[in-house]
Amino acid sequence: MKVYDGSSQTEQTQDADPERIKVGIAEYEVTTDGAVLTTSGLGSCIGIALYDTETGTAGLVHVMLPSADEVEDGNAAKFADTGTELLVEEMSEAGADPNSIEAKIAGGSDMLDFSESGSGIGDRNVSQVRETLEEYGIPIVGEDVGGDHGRSLRLESNTGDLVVKSANTDNTRL
Amino acid sequence: MKIDVQSLGTFNQLAHEGAEQATRSMAQMTGIDAEVDVTKISLVDRADIGEELGDSEFVGVQFEFEGALSGDTVLVFDRDSTDEIVNALMPGAAEDPSMAQSSVEEIGNIMMSGFIDGWADYLGAGIEHTPPEYIERSGADVLPEAPDTGETDQVFVFRSEIEWLDQSVNFFIYMLPEYEPMTEMMSEHAAAGDDAIPIEKLEAFNRMTRKGTEKAAENVEMMAGIETEAEVSQISFAPIEDVPKQVGNDTYVGTVVEFTGAPSGYLLVLFDETSAINVAEALMPMETDGDGLTDQHKAAIEELGNIMTSGFVDGWANVLQQTVEHTPPRLVHDMGRAIIDPLAAQLGQHQQHAFIIDSKMKTDEVAFESTIHALPNEEELREALDELLVERAEETEADAEQIF
Repeated sequence: MKVYDGSSQTEQTQDADPERIKVGIAEYEVTTDGAVLTTSGLGSCIGIALYDTETGTAGLVHVMLPSADEVEDGNAAKFADTGTELLVEEMSEAGADPNSIEAKIAGGSDMLDFSESGSGIGDRNVSQVRETLEEYGIPIVGEDVGGDHGRSLRLESNTGDLVVKSANTDNTRL
Repeated sequence: MKIDVQSLGTFNQLAHEGAEQATRSMAQMTGIDAEVDVTKISLVDRADIGEELGDSEFVGVQFEFEGALSGDTVLVFDRDSTDEIVNALMPGAAEDPSMAQSSVEEIGNIMMSGFIDGWADYLGAGIEHTPPEYIERSGADVLPEAPDTGETDQVFVFRSEIEWLDQSVNFFIYMLPEYEPMTEMMSEHAAAGDDAIPIEKLEAFNRMTRKGTEKAAENVEMMAGIETEAEVSQISFAPIEDVPKQVGNDTYVGTVVEFTGAPSGYLLVLFDETSAINVAEALMPMETDGDGLTDQHKAAIEELGNIMTSGFVDGWANVLQQTVEHTPPRLVHDMGRAIIDPLAAQLGQHQQHAFIIDSKMKTDEVAFESTIHALPNEEELREALDELLVERAEETEADAEQIF
């Protein structure tokens, strides 16, 4: 995983359009130079977009499962709890002040949940993200969670806007 | 010969790191930012290799390698994307065919050396490779002939798909090791634990999947009156977080069921929207109300998904001599990756890697294509294969003809 600080850019960034960086499942990216961070195909997965209103540092993580405690796996970005922690830490390292970070979250749909008892993974992902963000005192200033449809996200890090796209409805801007 | 899930995971990781190394080499040379999207190891019928390349034109380089592993490997670029790569390396070179070719060779050589060295390092043994040979062909023809495996028509293939960040242009690395040394090596790396899978059984399972797909295709034919062919069936292995990437990001229509028994898991039948409309209209006697995908289309797809699922699962149950039951189909109409993501997540609560069974069918009569994806619980699949061995001890060679 890389932190984009504008020092190692390709020629493409000379264009007027900001650089676009894809974030895969169980991955995260942090940018300090206004890049657009995107992630696609969130079902029960959840995208956590963090934005430091003071420095403009932005980060996006695409997590899959609620808690790292439940599964043996070394990839922190795969889980709602450790993924959120990781993103906050990486943003701080890139110069963000945790006190001025705001969160926007989207995803956590309960489509295709076949579990018959208890709440589904989508719900549990959302609850875990809320809990972890609260531990850091980071407010959630926008959200589009639950429901039974998929989402794709676009975090415009020059403004902190999170655009949520669905297959069957219009875009929402958080 | 047995392989275990651990070594499948290790080899997959090795191919993935090799592809990343190759991609970094290219980024350093050209300044083009690209990323390895997905790497998977598949057991596939020789005839089906490269099917996903479609009819596009490709250029690239091919190497033979030998030593601890032998076989062929290729790196291919979509023809349309080479100009940019070539010009990034040497401005203006794309205008001159011979310069363009030598640039592709040079990039290919550097990328693939990294890829092969990664394998040699891990295996702690030398792997020699020939100089790059420039290739220029369309679709699957760009790939080297699959190594002759003697007794079986199936081969292991490592595939990495690499994507440019700013454009939807992909390139691919394929590695086709010779079957014997590859399986020997995998079995050497297998821990002596309980999670070993006899390779022959995996092959039998793969053949069974093809039978299941054929049965599903027959069902479509009977119901819709469209002559339908089973095209591909393969079993792949990938980290759970790569599972959703097996499906594109376009919108799909289809059905999903959970199946229970041994093994349990999920089965998806997916149609792209155009295929869904075409096949649904072949099923429906009346005109539809409104444009595009209507509720009537969806109802027809639901019914079709149901009979395809039954056809597929029946074949499976027969071979495993198990009852495999499934829930009623749930209709889905959403982004492909978002459909499969909750299923991968549900499996991911108990396993780090997943077996993915992919089948594809299509027809020449109308524009129609459908894919079936099964995601079995990994541990239960292993047990089911084991069971197959115990119950058919006299057929340890897993002769598919006898089983079916």
